[in-house]
Amino acid sequence: MIRFILLQNRAGRTRLSKYYVPIEEKERRKLEYEIHRLVVNRDPKHTNFLEFRSYKIVYRRYAGLFFSMCIDASDNELTCLEAIHLFVEILDHYFSNVCELDLVFNFHKVYLILDEFICGGELQETAKKVILERLAELDKIDT
Amino acid sequence: MQSKLEKVVAGLKTGPRFLKELREFDNLVKAIGECKSKAEEDRIITQELELLKQRLSDPKLDRSRGKEYMIRLIYCEMLGHDASFAYVKALQFASDPNIHTKKAAYLALTQFLDHNNQLVLLLVNTLLSDLKSDNYLIVCTALVAATKLIGADLVNAVYPVVVGRLRHPKEHVRKKAVLALHWFGQLDPRREGPLAGVELDKHFRTMLCDKDPSVMSAALCALHECIRSDPRPYKNLIPSFTSILKQVAEHRLPKSYDYHRFPAPFIQIKLLKILALLGSGDRAASENMAAVLLQALRRANSSHTIGSAIIYECVRTITTIYPNPQLLAAAAESISPFLLSPSHNLRYTGITALAGITALNPAAAAEHQVAVLDCLEDPDDTLKLKTLELLYKMTRASNIQVITDKMMGYLATCSDEHIRRDIVRKVSDLAERYAPSPAWFVSTLSEVFRLGGEHVDEGAAHRLVRLIAEQDAGLHGSAVEAYLGLLEAQGGEGAGAPSAAPKKKLPETILLVICWVLGEYGHLARRPPAAVLSRLLSILSSHKAATERVRGCLLTALTKLAAHTGGAAGPVGAALLQPHGSAGGGGGGPMGREAAELVHQCLNSQNLELQQRAHELTTLLSLPPPLLSSALPVDAACEEFSAAELAEVATLPFLDPLVTRALAAGAAPYLPPEARGAKTGEAQAKGLRFEAYEPAPYAVPLASSSTSYSAGVNDARLHLGSTSASTSTLAAAASSHTAAAATPAAGNQLQPQLVLKSGGPRKWGPAQYESEPPSQHTAGHSAGSSAAAAHGTAAAGAGPASSSAAGTTTQSGGGRHSRSGSGSAVVTAQNAERERLAASLFGTAGGTAAAAATRPSPAHRPQQQSQPSNGSANASQQQQQRGTAAAPSAMDLLMDLDVPQQQQQLTAAVGPASGSGR
Repeated sequence: MIRFILLQNRAGRTRLSKYYVPIEEKERRKLEYEIHRLVVNRDPKHTNFLEFRSYKIVYRRYAGLFFSMCIDASDNELTCLEAIHLFVEILDHYFSNVCELDLVFNFHKVYLILDEFICGGELQETAKKVILERLAELDKIDT
Repeated sequence: MQSKLEKVVAGLKTGPRFLKELREFDNLVKAIGECKSKAEEDRIITQELELLKQRLSDPKLDRSRGKEYMIRLIYCEMLGHDASFAYVKALQFASDPNIHTKKAAYLALTQFLDHNNQLVLLLVNTLLSDLKSDNYLIVCTALVAATKLIGADLVNAVYPVVVGRLRHPKEHVRKKAVLALHWFGQLDPRREGPLAGVELDKHFRTMLCDKDPSVMSAALCALHECIRSDPRPYKNLIPSFTSILKQVAEHRLPKSYDYHRFPAPFIQIKLLKILALLGSGDRAASENMAAVLLQALRRANSSHTIGSAIIYECVRTITTIYPNPQLLAAAAESISPFLLSPSHNLRYTGITALAGITALNPAAAAEHQVAVLDCLEDPDDTLKLKTLELLYKMTRASNIQVITDKMMGYLATCSDEHIRRDIVRKVSDLAERYAPSPAWFVSTLSEVFRLGGEHVDEGAAHRLVRLIAEQDAGLHGSAVEAYLGLLEAQGGEGAGAPSAAPKKKLPETILLVICWVLGEYGHLARRPPAAVLSRLLSILSSHKAATERVRGCLLTALTKLAAHTGGAAGPVGAALLQPHGSAGGGGGGPMGREAAELVHQCLNSQNLELQQRAHELTTLLSLPPPLLSSALPVDAACEEFSAAELAEVATLPFLDPLVTRALAAGAAPYLPPEARGAKTGEAQAKGLRFEAYEPAPYAVPLASSSTSYSAGVNDARLHLGSTSASTSTLAAAASSHTAAAATPAAGNQLQPQLVLKSGGPRKWGPAQYESEPPSQHTAGHSAGSSAAAAHGTAAAGAGPASSSAAGTTTQSGGGRHSRSGSGSAVVTAQNAERERLAASLFGTAGGTAAAAATRPSPAHRPQQQSQPSNGSANASQQQQQRGTAAAPSAMDLLMDLDVPQQQQQLTAAVGPASGSGR
């Protein structure tokens, strides 16, 4: 199960955070700080996995943005790594060539996309086309 | 960054795609983006929050801008500011008829609240009406909110509506409804609370057959969770799962589910996980899924990470289900590209998968020894740690020393709490299972205590103490010397470099062990008892904050030390009994004064335990010498009582006269606790009782038993009993004193807690792990390795994985024999360390050379580079090296302990490299 997802930039500013398990506000700040510190200093050649407390962090870096997912120790790390990539592909399609600023100005959209992709800590929809169609549908009523 | 910002700003001006109505929000984001400091950012956000507070509490609130307000709130909260004033407003906006406002409000609520929050109660009505809405978009939004906000106490309110949505014509709704039910199921996994009697899994089974793949995959998630808690009711679904997996792997799902040309990999992986759970320990089920697993494994390839993910999951499934030789062989074959890959991620998963295979087929790791060694030396901690885990799984008697050494090397450098605890647990576990000799066990465990003592559980300390007690005087002596050395290195007071490098304090557990050992065997030290005394006292000066437990054990240790070295007249006794305040008088100089000071302090301590121990000390030492030596006999920690003796003690015969006297004086006879319990239970069963209570029946016997504590010599014995009991267990609960006191008071040789063993020469570690007695190990390395080979064969023979495995194992066993047979001769100094390490880890050398030659890039092997490898170095040369170059390393391995000569020979197979970790 995915416990939470974080999007942080290199400076450690959280761009998006989604928690699928109840975590106190204060604890969240601490987690975000700790994970950023762990992730930002890692050699790019090293594994994208970190053992973190009794869980595992799988992270991936895209330009200045770090996408981190916290999963159970028994989960498949490679799948998670690819799930992150799929999410980024969807973002890229939706925003056509996504950059950090797209995510900053449209962070509520990103949450919307995430809600279509992951729900209750499980991958909900893995077909890129289905998600994009649905987002287009939502945008249509938006205007 | 700046140019991008301009690009976006320009875009916004000309015709923003998404943000027409969010002008103020944009300005906020821009202002934050231009902030130079955290303080500036905080100021802006505080202003913003003030503004929002004002706007939202305004009765003429512009409801059409609700969405924007919500988004601004989320943004503020994301930057770490408290926006709790707006939670209630968000609840109100959730029931807004405008769908945009509603969606934004739900989003805000899912971000702000979780299912433990009381405010959710206010949302239930809105949520229910939204779930019933005709607009499917609203239903979807409400379902997503339900997966986050509905807790166990609210499930029942929402459950029926969500179940109704399972038959919604839109697949999006059905999918989300399944996931919402999945969430509800997690709230009450045993179906005992709010979901008792609800047929959740029936719905999941139905949804598994949904025509839309995404609904089916949602049902898979839900079923996975159910199966994880109890696989039994779901065995009949195996044919469905295998047929789905087959179809998916054969590319029958719509193209849109492809990911980098792999057919629906995420669904495949989910299915593989479910099959692993269903097939684990179930032979018939495992046979049914074997063909499909093999197909899935063959169809995947490692051309892309997702393909590797499928292979990895296949291997995990294959190693989890009932072992199938054909599948295992295929799995072992498919992970070799992982281990040889330049990608750390793949190597990491490869090592994990290899650990799974090694558990079933111990010979599997030997094929990949070079790769494993590379991973072990990799600078990436995650990878290194995983490799250590693999080593932990493949530890045998033949390679235990190298492996614990590697682990300890890592322990010394690692600072993460969780990892340290894990390693400490592993090393002590391995040491107990495979220790080649008691001396090695003692030295290893002491080292573990030193490096990571805060994580050692008390059980390990007890076993260490017991083991030491069971050995002969030679080991006692060496343990004493080792611990004295440890204390010396620790203290370094005055003489050496005082505080140049402040040493790490020894953890409490090891201090307790040291106290016990020095107390019990301090008289065997090669230096005068006074020196031992001063070392013991140095614990206090170097550990200012020593706990009362340590002080208590220290007192007892001093008592014993004094008793063993001439009693009150001996040097230690004299120092201890020096009258307080007579500074510098004769006795023991400053050191003696310190000892007397300690005793005096404890005599007046507020802690009862300490006070009692101090009184015991003075009382015991004032006894006449013959009585003292029988009270605290030398080396009696291992005295055993026969069953008959114990039975005799248990009846407490020495109390008989007292009891008869009390009975004669009119006391009520003793009533066992069960009888008493029955009586009161009866009374309670009747409910309230109205008659008066009869006088307590056992008041008098209690009084009479307390008289037994007063007799003269008896008193001393009681104290002594409590002393030995508490030291031997290291337990210091004051209450246990009186409990333990009664039993030992009968005899003179009293160390009851240590006498747990049932006899026999080998007395530690679970017996099933290693059946050989340790003496056989000390006979020579070849014995050890042949034992390992036997072990391997036995393991392979036991599992059904055997047929292929047995062959390789016996082969490698033969290799070891020939190696140990080959004698001395030419030492070629190349390539030595890695080869030796490989050999001592895996037991075979030929494979190493071959594999090293095929290994593609040397970039990952710093050590190899520094010592250019001779690719043609053949196996026999390496063997010879190993035979000759090994001897000097023995001391490295043994830390700084004195050990018997035979021990050094035992470690001959370990290269000097093994000591480098420290």
